[in-house]
Amino acid sequence: MAPPEVQRTRAIHVTQEDVRRLCEFLYRRTGMSFDDNKRYYIDRRLAERITATASNSFQSYFATLRSDAEHEIEHLVNAFTVNETYFYREDHQLRCMVSNLLDDILRRKTTGESIRIWSIPCSTGEEPYSIAMWLMENWSEVDKYNIEIVGSDIDTRALKAAADGVYGTRALMRLPRHVIERYFGRIDGNQVRIDPGLRDSVQFTRVNLIDARDMALYRDFDIVFCRNVLIYFDDASRRIAAENLYDCLRPGGYICLGHSETMSRISTLFRVCRFPDAIVYQRPEADHDDS
Amino acid sequence: MPFVRREIATTPVVSKAPDRSLETHLAGLSSTDSEARWSAARALGGRADAVAALAEALATEQVPRVREAIMTAVMRVGNEASVLALLPYLRSQDAGLRATAIEALQALPDAIAPFMPKLLADNDADVRLLAAELVRNMPAKDATRILCDLLQNEQAANVCAAAIDVLAEVGTRDAVPVLQACAARFRDTPFLPFAISTTIARISNTEG
Repeated sequence: MAPPEVQRTRAIHVTQEDVRRLCEFLYRRTGMSFDDNKRYYIDRRLAERITATASNSFQSYFATLRSDAEHEIEHLVNAFTVNETYFYREDHQLRCMVSNLLDDILRRKTTGESIRIWSIPCSTGEEPYSIAMWLMENWSEVDKYNIEIVGSDIDTRALKAAADGVYGTRALMRLPRHVIERYFGRIDGNQVRIDPGLRDSVQFTRVNLIDARDMALYRDFDIVFCRNVLIYFDDASRRIAAENLYDCLRPGGYICLGHSETMSRISTLFRVCRFPDAIVYQRPEADHDDS
Repeated sequence: MPFVRREIATTPVVSKAPDRSLETHLAGLSSTDSEARWSAARALGGRADAVAALAEALATEQVPRVREAIMTAVMRVGNEASVLALLPYLRSQDAGLRATAIEALQALPDAIAPFMPKLLADNDADVRLLAAELVRNMPAKDATRILCDLLQNEQAANVCAAAIDVLAEVGTRDAVPVLQACAARFRDTPFLPFAISTTIARISNTEG
């Protein structure tokens, strides 16, 4: 364990103008918006990162951040966001899927055609399993259709954990008791295992979101959940990822991004759709000005 | 359960990506089908030997998403030819096209650097204004020097404002004297001295 003095954050003077400079950079780079009334929240996280990077001033830290040395943008974004993943996270989008997206998708389906849903990145599997559970619990038409759910990530360790389906009880914090009882079996006081039937209903694969060759193998999805990953990318990678995702969707298909992300800042390829429960992005059914 | 799982080993979720030649993709750029042009542009991304054809296609492409894909493809090459292909769109009357070109060029700070002096001396103030924005992703010292050179003689208030906005984020204290001189020169344009005072407050403690 590191000695206490190393763990402590260093007291480096940060001015109001420094904070504004940081916030403007964060907004432009990631879309995350913080104003002056979050000063304490910002100061704490900023001090943590200044200490972690051994910077001796805000200016030195900001230079490290701008050059993205040692992936500092990713570290800072992590400090400003909730990294913990759990079942039914951002469930307003799952509500939107059932209340609005599926009806529209079914309008374009022929008899017997599957509904295809992709969770990328899926990390350790909480998201694709949440999609499956939400559909089972909240969509009255779930038994009328074949539904394919694919979970993909670049991290093969995360994928192995996803396929194992073993979780700490903390990951269940947003789930109603009856859902836990239906889909999880207790291993011990701290761990549960997801129902084998549910586990086998999700296919896990390794994919790099900005590798066009990887992504070219995935097509015809109706809904893609791509949450909290684009904010980590630089502008060029975001453009490439947006084009890759466009190709993975069926015309009229939807993308759900994380709450701090907006596709319109990244690309004009998608239409913004405002539904009561969520703002999502749609691949247009056709080009309006085809030549 | 209604869920079906297609095992890759038997019935793949995925289908094999088509493997086509450079010539096929280049021909695809002039297809009458926008989907074919889109696919061709995507396939040619990062290929230096396709930049000239991509630039030519960009000049006539009317479908916004295909134009975006062509610009991304050119951006992925990231060499001098890519910059030369994208630069003309800084003069486009189409705001969307200008914005896409700016984004693509911003992603190429090293390749764009040799072009900056000429862009910042362009006769068209709109081009100088957009060029100031291109400096944003450059290292702080280079960005400060380039924008200070611009501010010393720039007569258009809007171009100065764009440069000042970028300096507020990336500038160092070396820019303070030039900013003060600019504020004095534009004292009858109140928003500029105000923007300059904000920028000076932000960068005066930076390392030069």
